[in-house]
Amino acid sequence: MSQNHPKRRSDVSARVVVDETVVLDLGAAQIHQLNTTASFIWNRCDGRCTVGEIADQLAESFDIDRETARQAVQETLRRFDELGLLDSARD
Amino acid sequence: MRCSESTTYALVTAAYGEMRDDAGTIDLDYTVGKNGADAAFYIARAGEKALTAPDNGTFLAAFDKDIAIELQKIRRDLYFVHAAVLTRGEAVMLVAKPGGGKSTLTWALLHHGFGFLSDELAPVDLDTLEVHPYPRTLALKREPPGSYPLPRRTLMTSRSLHVRNVPGRIVKAPARLGAVVFLNYDRDASEPTIRRLTSAEAGARLYANALNPLAHTANGLDGAVRITAAHPCYELVSADLPATCALLARTLEPSE
Repeated sequence: MSQNHPKRRSDVSARVVVDETVVLDLGAAQIHQLNTTASFIWNRCDGRCTVGEIADQLAESFDIDRETARQAVQETLRRFDELGLLDSARD
Repeated sequence: MRCSESTTYALVTAAYGEMRDDAGTIDLDYTVGKNGADAAFYIARAGEKALTAPDNGTFLAAFDKDIAIELQKIRRDLYFVHAAVLTRGEAVMLVAKPGGGKSTLTWALLHHGFGFLSDELAPVDLDTLEVHPYPRTLALKREPPGSYPLPRRTLMTSRSLHVRNVPGRIVKAPARLGAVVFLNYDRDASEPTIRRLTSAEAGARLYANALNPLAHTANGLDGAVRITAAHPCYELVSADLPATCALLARTLEPSE
């Protein structure tokens, strides 16, 4: 995973359904359902936003404190990485 | 389908008799039979090498599989889901893992006013969101609980029990989809439970049970999402069969 600018893999398909997201990773024969928070973070994994910026946006949008948001973002990114959904290139 | 041998004819009539239609355009052309009392069954599709099966259960399983694959080739426009389909006004798709109790619950629900559209295959038209019928005879892997005994004329093969004369109406026309139910059988559950799924969770689950997703746009992801976003979707954990039927029937009642 790119340490500071997480980027979702370009070869997975994703569809937003209401506030959630379905992610199809055909290469790994896996399909994932992302809840509202994970969807929010997923959408910002564009290779440009930093982890800190994503946490700030999450804190503001969900009206939670910044530390809680930072932990949520880090944990979610760790899960995305475990599932192989992020680009592995480092910046 | 051509068959001139009596044992095989009785089998295919019992399993596929409800699919009989007036001869029109022939999309699939099979010759099936048996070359003698102790010989293997064979399934020959026009232009293809014949398949053989050592016993009646294996024969029907192989025939089912071949038909399902060929139908997906012929109707690539349809989104095929491995599911049973019943009707109660609109169609209710019952999705489960193999051995998850789909056919047993289908058999039970047919005693509670539901109609029968399919036991195994749910071909969905993604434009109209209608499910096409596939009224191959309901096939159970084992005897259902005592509340819903099988009729005497049930055909028993080496692999399954094929129920003729089901109590519900057999629906032979496309039906508008009304709900999708993902079934889980829990042998330890004391009572059945049901919960509403989000469209995304249901979409992911439906995709995992799609048979021809790669024939559709976005590798079938759009089709799964279209189906689940347009209908209420549930997870049903089954337990006692009459109670499970009652819970599902109540859940599907139109709200006031």
